[in-house]
Amino acid sequence: MRYLAVVFLATCAAFGQQAQKTGNIGLYRNQKLPAEGPAPILADGTPDLSGVWLGSGANAADIAAPNSLKPGSQVLMLPWAAEVVKNRQSKEDPEANCLPAGIPRGSPYPWRIVQTPTHYFILYEGNIHSYRQIFMNAKHPEDPDPTWYGHSIGHWEGKTLVVDTVGFNDKFWFDYKGHPHTEKLHTIERYTRTDLGHMSLEVTIDDPGAYVKPFTTIGSATLMPGTELLEYICQENNQDLPLLHGPARGPGGQ
Amino acid sequence: MRAMVFAAALCGLWLAPVPRAMAHHSAAAEFDSSKKIDLTGVVTKVEWTNPHAHFYVDVKDSTGNMVNWNLELASPNVLIRNGWKRTSLKPGDTVSVTGIRSKDNPNFGSASMITLPDGRKLTFLAAEDQAK
Repeated sequence: MRYLAVVFLATCAAFGQQAQKTGNIGLYRNQKLPAEGPAPILADGTPDLSGVWLGSGANAADIAAPNSLKPGSQVLMLPWAAEVVKNRQSKEDPEANCLPAGIPRGSPYPWRIVQTPTHYFILYEGNIHSYRQIFMNAKHPEDPDPTWYGHSIGHWEGKTLVVDTVGFNDKFWFDYKGHPHTEKLHTIERYTRTDLGHMSLEVTIDDPGAYVKPFTTIGSATLMPGTELLEYICQENNQDLPLLHGPARGPGGQ
Repeated sequence: MRAMVFAAALCGLWLAPVPRAMAHHSAAAEFDSSKKIDLTGVVTKVEWTNPHAHFYVDVKDSTGNMVNWNLELASPNVLIRNGWKRTSLKPGDTVSVTGIRSKDNPNFGSASMITLPDGRKLTFLAAEDQAK
């Protein structure tokens, strides 16, 4: 039996070696996997985050799930927010209505970071096909108009890109369960490319209008070197909406 | 050789990461996993569109009436990266489809597996030869 186990593991290691170049990334099969190596750095010494990535900074089904939160963080809602989560329906989810997912909710679709000296852009394939702009080393306006993605400014702390965002509207949901927020929302995202193919994400969510205290979510992203972003126009043929029933919940019903 | 394939499949299961979110809405809110469908018919139309691709199949019901079923797939973006082509399924193809039914539309379903007469298999997410 022990001999069989050794043969199995050795065989798997051999297949693992062979399969090193391709494998699954999220829902995607037989993808070109990122090579091994250190996180790249631009000629001026700035970490290079550019590329097509898959992943997000929180559990999209439930931001309060244990695998979504940094150890020590807790999602403590004000009573009105808890009541909202209890009553929200799946068909009201902005994401099901082809509206933006906001921050930090992820999707099964990849996104690209583009770095220029003054602006960083996040191009989202879905859901929805949209973009964010991050103004580097800039200031927030005094009274920004509330928008879906807010007003984002960025700076580097060592190898970590820190993105500070205010000026959100209160429309998107943090997750499929429907955790809400208000226009007081302030997010701080931390993007750290840990090696060539991987990035760790951390998002601190501070919204005294809906939560007792700030909390921090964690997530990760994987580089998808073998793909380009594709078009994704969610509004084109969204037949599902009238067929959705029941309380807001994750894709698998959780 | 068969043992090698089996070992590769086992290792694949062992090494593969588990996918998380699948769609832009809750599938459990739309489909009833206890209402299984098993249909055979002729494809009348394919919509290669987001947020989901759809194909339509003429199927004879138990009373002999022809019913046009609307069957949902993942988004073309997922399908393309998983080996589907927009021509993988064409009007006129005879297909067998298993899946689950919508909670309240009797002729709307989510397709789990599509089998063509030449044995090709396509799933909600992938062309089967790409899925290994």
